[in-house]
Amino acid sequence: MAVIAGRPKRGALLPSRLTDATNSRIGSLVLYVIRRLLWMIPVVFFVIVITFILMHSAAGSPWDKSGGRQLSQVIVDNLNKKYGLDKPVFQQFLLYIWNVLHFDFGLSYQYQGKSVVELIGGGWPYTATIGTLAFLLIVPIGVGLGVLAALRQNTRVDYATVGFATFSASFPNFVIGSLMIVFFSVLLYKWTGGQFFLPAGGWGLDDHLIMPAVTLALLPIAYTARLTRASTLETIRQDYIRTAWAKGLSERLVVIRHVLKNSLIPVVTTLGPTFAFLVTGSVIVETVFSIPGIGRAFVVAVTSRDYPMILGTTVLFSIIIAAANLVVDVLYVFIDPRVRLT
Amino acid sequence: MTAADWVYGYQHFLNPALAAGYVDPFFDTTIKGADNYSNVDVSSSSAIDSFISGLGLSAPDANTFVIKLQHPAAFFKWVVTLWVAVPIRKDVVEQAAGGTFPSSDTTKPLKWAQSANTIIGNGPYKISEIVSKDHVTLVPNTGYWGGAPHLQKIVENFIEDANTAFAKYQTGDLDMMTVPLADVDVVRNDPVLSKQAKVYPKLTTFWMTFNAQKTPFNNADVRMAFSKSIDRDKLNKQVQHDIQQSILSFIPKGMAGYDTSDKSQSFDATAAKALLTKAGVTAAQLNKFTLLTRNTTRNKTLNQFIIDQWNTNLGLSMQLEVIDSKTVTSRIRKGQFDIYGPDGWGADYPDQQDWYDIFFKNSCHSLNWGCVDLPGYDTLVQKADGELDQNARNKDYNTAQKQLIDSAAVAFIFQDYEYNLIKPYVGNLTITAGDDQSLPGNFYWHDAYITTH
Repeated sequence: MAVIAGRPKRGALLPSRLTDATNSRIGSLVLYVIRRLLWMIPVVFFVIVITFILMHSAAGSPWDKSGGRQLSQVIVDNLNKKYGLDKPVFQQFLLYIWNVLHFDFGLSYQYQGKSVVELIGGGWPYTATIGTLAFLLIVPIGVGLGVLAALRQNTRVDYATVGFATFSASFPNFVIGSLMIVFFSVLLYKWTGGQFFLPAGGWGLDDHLIMPAVTLALLPIAYTARLTRASTLETIRQDYIRTAWAKGLSERLVVIRHVLKNSLIPVVTTLGPTFAFLVTGSVIVETVFSIPGIGRAFVVAVTSRDYPMILGTTVLFSIIIAAANLVVDVLYVFIDPRVRLT
Repeated sequence: MTAADWVYGYQHFLNPALAAGYVDPFFDTTIKGADNYSNVDVSSSSAIDSFISGLGLSAPDANTFVIKLQHPAAFFKWVVTLWVAVPIRKDVVEQAAGGTFPSSDTTKPLKWAQSANTIIGNGPYKISEIVSKDHVTLVPNTGYWGGAPHLQKIVENFIEDANTAFAKYQTGDLDMMTVPLADVDVVRNDPVLSKQAKVYPKLTTFWMTFNAQKTPFNNADVRMAFSKSIDRDKLNKQVQHDIQQSILSFIPKGMAGYDTSDKSQSFDATAAKALLTKAGVTAAQLNKFTLLTRNTTRNKTLNQFIIDQWNTNLGLSMQLEVIDSKTVTSRIRKGQFDIYGPDGWGADYPDQQDWYDIFFKNSCHSLNWGCVDLPGYDTLVQKADGELDQNARNKDYNTAQKQLIDSAAVAFIFQDYEYNLIKPYVGNLTITAGDDQSLPGNFYWHDAYITTH
């Protein structure tokens, strides 16, 4: 029996049951997911390193005020002692890593007595709800419009879709949000004598969600629609699609079974990061609609040099982005049979 | 509530380990024994306990709270009205903390203030709900000494975008709000809203600060030239929608010490140019300086106008330097600026003692950002701070104010006014000139009510 020198075969060092598992498609997928999850540890570590260096390089102290009486030196010294800022930066870093390993993300400087976990845990449900709702709008509307425009290329439907996408992508969301408030809240309230209007801001699991979700979704809808249109146009010109038509298949079958399966691959690639972007919050949408989410909290943390909140939110964002990318990579396996995860 | 709760409340915020922001300089320089505040080893509970027990605070009986001061202080009657000087119940603090804790503990003593169930006070209303960064709900405190208030519920919303607040007011979601500057004209031109507008002064003065440690801003004539070349009325009309009040002095309208008689800093472009000539300073020398600006819309707009005034009236071509707020603070702390503004002061309480220490020599790089040299100023103000006769105090403070104006220590620009909208069905709301804390200090909520509408 010939012996092949060099790297052992993948899985050769694994127990036999696992080795069997790697031979199956699902087994290799599970191993791939585990490996990617483990890779997230160094990714998050480097995100912490970079964030730590950057935030400590930024001028200004967490205790500096933008106006009024500044804290006296003795109070600043006592606050530094309280939060460990009197220690050398490298020691602060090691201490932070040690605490993170114990799931302790520290106390916020802005909201005295409140932990970062408590603040993020309190704010993220708002952000995630709006983000998820926006995502639920993006997939059917963005993909639907894109496919429709491609199938009806150079018709009014196509022009309207491209026009809508260009309009949505061109207007910043603070303009769209503000205009929506003026139209759907203030003017509608006046016109209907207060009978029907959308709330101008604030939180509630009701019609309060409509304007923020739509505002947040418009740009990704536009992007997804344009991408889907371009990708679908490319696909419908392929030989196998012509064959499908030639076989006499119905439009529904051709589109769903043959066109979409291929044209959606680049779309799925972008939907992962889009989802991550949406559920990590938009400072503009949260500010315009007065939503106490973490998108706004992150920006406030940066401007007020609330180091533990900056790190806590950055770690959360990096995990969400890494996880969203992982989900996309796994989805490839199911969408594109040519993809093998190794 | 007993006097012992007052003693505990004061001991709580004077614990140096908790590093409470408003202790210095209101209490630690006045209460007997508190001047040792900065020397306490905050890691040692016994050192903290010894400091706290040595403070001039006692409760001889349940109804008497005694504070001993280390020197006469006519202003201290105002200091005890600050929001930090409140009674606190030790049993509630310990219950929220999960038991007793050493004085050096910096987290457990804060727990009581995090929850609506344990953050209790002695005002007409009590907090019934806190939704972080969204709203706080107040309900009547039936045990209030002056009787329960009329309103059954007050919700205070945290709304960052003033335009959103304006929309919520228009759709009936808010009963009162502060109008953003950009919407002032909309309100004025609206037949309904204009009748609901209320304008009232804030005890806040704004000014421009010159770095007096840099040549030529160490020359009073140069500072005065810059002060005299700002048309404050035009600034008010063109930029501030005619809401603010031009000011040429330090103490704002609504406080003892407000005096408009010294008009040395009044707008006079010709006199300003003459002062520059007298100082022997050329445009080329001044053009290298910048006006340091925090990157908020209001600051940028104001400073754009002011630098245009200097460039037009003094024949300069100076530039704005717009930077994020924290960086600006770190730079002015180090004296790394030429001119900075708008800087200002809002009263913590309506006594002049709260104002004049800003320009003390030892406040250089702290509040006296320009570090201007004012011979005899500190001694005069300290004398006024220690006086008990109010007339004598006013006289000394007035001399100090004249020194600030005449030496153009800073260029005073305007007093802040607030433009509010209040629904007509909100009745019996007493509004006073606003101090540093917008709510609830400016409004006496106890007697307010809502009429049928």
